[in-house]
Amino acid sequence: MDRSTPRLIDRVDLLAALDRGAAGKVTIISAPAGSGKTSLLRAWADRPGQAHRLAVLQVQRDQYDAQQFWLALLAAVRHASATPSQAEPPAATPEFNGRAMVDRMLSELADHHGPLIVVIDDLHELHSEEALALLTRLLVNLPAHVHAILATRRDLQLRLHQLRLAGELAEIRAADLRFTERESRELLEASGIALSAAGAALLHQRTEGWAAGLRLAALSLAGHPDPERFVAEFSGSDRTVAEYLVAEMLDRQPPDVRQLLLRTSLLDRVNGELADLLTGSPGSERILLELEDANAFVMSLDPERTWFRYHRLFADFLRLELRRALPEEVPALHRRAAAWFAEHGQVVEAIRHTQAAGDWPVAARLLADHSFSLTLDGQAQTIQVLLRAFPRGAPADDPELALVRAADDLLHGHLDEATARLAVAETHVERTPPDRQRRLQVAIMSLKLWLARRRGHLAGVVEQARLLDSPISGQSDEDIALGNDLRAVALMNLGTLEAWSLGFPDAERHLREGAILARSIGRPYLEVGCLAQLGFASRIRSFAITRQRCREAIALADRHGWGAEPVIAPALVTLAGNLAWTGELDEAERWLQRTERALQTDAGPGIRQLLHLAAGRLHAGRGRYRESLEEFSAAERLQSQLDGPHAMASQVTGWILTTQARLGMHGQARAALAALTDEQANSGEIRNARAAICLTEGDPAGALGALADVLDGTAPVIGYITVVEAQLLAALAHRALGDQNAANVATERALALAEPDRLVLPFVTMGAQELLESLPRHSTAHAALLADILDVVHGASLTANNQSPSPHTEELSPSELRVLRYLPTNLSRPEIASELSVSVNTVNTHIRSIYAKLQASNRSSAVQRARELRLLAAHRTRQPRRSPDLGDAGSPGGSRL
Amino acid sequence: MRVHPAARDSDIVDPTPTRYAIRIHGHLGPMVVSAFPALVPQWHGADTVLSGLLDRSALYGVLAEIEALGLDLVEVRQLTQHQKSPRSGNSRSTLAPPWTQPIEHEGDHP
Repeated sequence: MDRSTPRLIDRVDLLAALDRGAAGKVTIISAPAGSGKTSLLRAWADRPGQAHRLAVLQVQRDQYDAQQFWLALLAAVRHASATPSQAEPPAATPEFNGRAMVDRMLSELADHHGPLIVVIDDLHELHSEEALALLTRLLVNLPAHVHAILATRRDLQLRLHQLRLAGELAEIRAADLRFTERESRELLEASGIALSAAGAALLHQRTEGWAAGLRLAALSLAGHPDPERFVAEFSGSDRTVAEYLVAEMLDRQPPDVRQLLLRTSLLDRVNGELADLLTGSPGSERILLELEDANAFVMSLDPERTWFRYHRLFADFLRLELRRALPEEVPALHRRAAAWFAEHGQVVEAIRHTQAAGDWPVAARLLADHSFSLTLDGQAQTIQVLLRAFPRGAPADDPELALVRAADDLLHGHLDEATARLAVAETHVERTPPDRQRRLQVAIMSLKLWLARRRGHLAGVVEQARLLDSPISGQSDEDIALGNDLRAVALMNLGTLEAWSLGFPDAERHLREGAILARSIGRPYLEVGCLAQLGFASRIRSFAITRQRCREAIALADRHGWGAEPVIAPALVTLAGNLAWTGELDEAERWLQRTERALQTDAGPGIRQLLHLAAGRLHAGRGRYRESLEEFSAAERLQSQLDGPHAMASQVTGWILTTQARLGMHGQARAALAALTDEQANSGEIRNARAAICLTEGDPAGALGALADVLDGTAPVIGYITVVEAQLLAALAHRALGDQNAANVATERALALAEPDRLVLPFVTMGAQELLESLPRHSTAHAALLADILDVVHGASLTANNQSPSPHTEELSPSELRVLRYLPTNLSRPEIASELSVSVNTVNTHIRSIYAKLQASNRSSAVQRARELRLLAAHRTRQPRRSPDLGDAGSPGGSRL
Repeated sequence: MRVHPAARDSDIVDPTPTRYAIRIHGHLGPMVVSAFPALVPQWHGADTVLSGLLDRSALYGVLAEIEALGLDLVEVRQLTQHQKSPRSGNSRSTLAPPWTQPIEHEGDHP
């Protein structure tokens, strides 16, 4: 808003009220349509010499989507902060974590230097209880240097009484906003209208100081041959003020302007091209520019003045007049608008206008074709609103809409409804036209895999996944794009299921394929999802590989601002669990806290189980067995919400029994043991538990008996950790039987197994301290590991002795290097694009790739890394080299952390 | 058409529509009245009374429209069978707006 707006007059008292309010935390301006809220805010913000920065968000009309609202607010705040590094556009995700978003916003606000005012205008358009609840949280916790101003037509459900009691809340209401007679006169004078004092008084009286009425009257009065007569006729009429004045104003416009205003009134925003299309004649852009210059009801949305919107009250009246004056044209206008938006890739607006035209089957197909990509783009709540707009009856039974609804149900955890809708869609496949049958089948299959994953149920799904081997034979680009989206999602879900069912090799292959596909089609959300699951899938192979994969997935998620979103939770929790195994308990706890933040929204029972298991292990490592038992039991209870047995079900049961025994709850442990099936009882994990119970009951011989099959390799085990535990239990049993030699041999075997991963936790939780202390130092080959274990036993948390070395930096391509040189400047991305004569998208792609290769998360860290690597030096001699401080990728001798 | 939040979940809607009289300050002209196709306008003194059968969600839709158009809402009244018609607040006559068809006023006959 850098252009001066001469028609705004200084309303001294109100400006002073805003200034006073800014000393507290929040100001609310609550007054009906047309009261002059936005004008007041603009007049206040545009005053010269302001010390604060300003972040302004105007809430979109009918905003139901909490995520869209928060992302827009975050973008506004970052724009106001104006540090180029933070100007990254935040990315939407299909699973929105509102609390994490508020926490992030608060921390960015706290980092802001100097006073900042956050203005949210038209807040009444936000129809999301979730978003309003989160907003309350934000407002109550605002840092001292930040003030928020909310403008709304009606009082909202914000729970701000605390602020009110503390004197931190200022309010400006309709009565305060009414123009005084003097202000009315000033407004007329500022608009160049000469009116007698009596005429001005009459006008003020008739409009009751209502801002929109005065401004509309000013429009009609400007250039009126007889202003006094106009005022006299107006005050003699008992029509409502706005209706009278809008009708007068329209009557006074030339026909082309009148046509443009009416026909474009059904758009939320308009540009010259679109207006030309709807009016059927050229020259609209000029008219729009003139209208903005001439009145307060047309406003441009961008500095280039290409997009415009109408004042909302004004637009609502124009729409009414359009429907009344040209009712037969309205559907055709919507159709034309829909076609334009569809052509320009603005699917949501295209669907809205198609619905408004009453073309329900077309709207259904459009929504079905795009719902998948809209979901992936984080627009699930928008889809819900679009779905609700369909009338009951025929179009709602459209099989493709049934799929859209099924996806919506799945996203919200309504698994039974989703199952029923999928069944409906399946019965329609054969009646679907052949050109759409195939994509319908792939969509159904993809949703079934998703459903199966939510239920934790693999059986019967894998066969269907064979459909994936033949991609949709591409008719149109859209088909191929949809096919790729579906395929990438299906691969992610299939791989996840396989990982959970211990089908590791296939799991890793499918997840890797999914990640590569996701990357190639530009779906970072799916790439992060696949890589996060890959971290989980590789957890049994080697701690080093697992950690590396988890950290890579987390780094990619961080780059997109998804570091605490559900999508990355599998990698976070796997990393936390993994660190607990090696005794790095403090770091494990930090990752676990981040996992909890990521799982504030419902992400399904499977991942929550992992969270409880990792927390249980952490407690056990710190000797807090009661808390540990609670966590393990919580994990076991979640099992009932899953269809199939958990990948680690026997381990969970085993840990519960062992912990119960350790806490002296022998009766409960024995009873639970007796209730298990033979198959369960024969697993290595349960045999270990039986041995642990025997030991605490004073029956070491019984323990050795239980362990025999685990030690000779005949009992099935989940992984080598079970064998380490068995060796330790055996050592304890031998020791209890007085055979120290056998105890030492078993302990040494456990250490040998534990050495490659530097596994620590089983030694700590099995109570192996005395075993280790009595092991002669000269006779063990694992003295360093032994020392580490004893440190943890004595309450320490290990830290990695050399941080994971910075991996090798990939070479930048010549075009990436060209873009890189602009990063230290203050040019925006569009400006860089125009400098290089390429599209903004190309610049975005290069910047993403630069960040990835330099492992930077924002512009300034990328510049710093580039400087370290001498990529920005004036006289670069050769290709980029790694700087000496990066070290080598691996430490010498192949030893691990 | 705008959607009012209270109107969006059609499953929890009062199934039986009820007759409402909604009084707005000022005489509504044809432009504004077209925003309320389900209601019949009558001028009562300086006010306009919109009346008609509305279920709960339609009522909230009408109220949202009144808010959107910045109209001056005076009264919302549910009419039971015993009440005849919305009483006008003063002695002036009750008129259909001149541009509407004459309508039967069920309650105005003695």
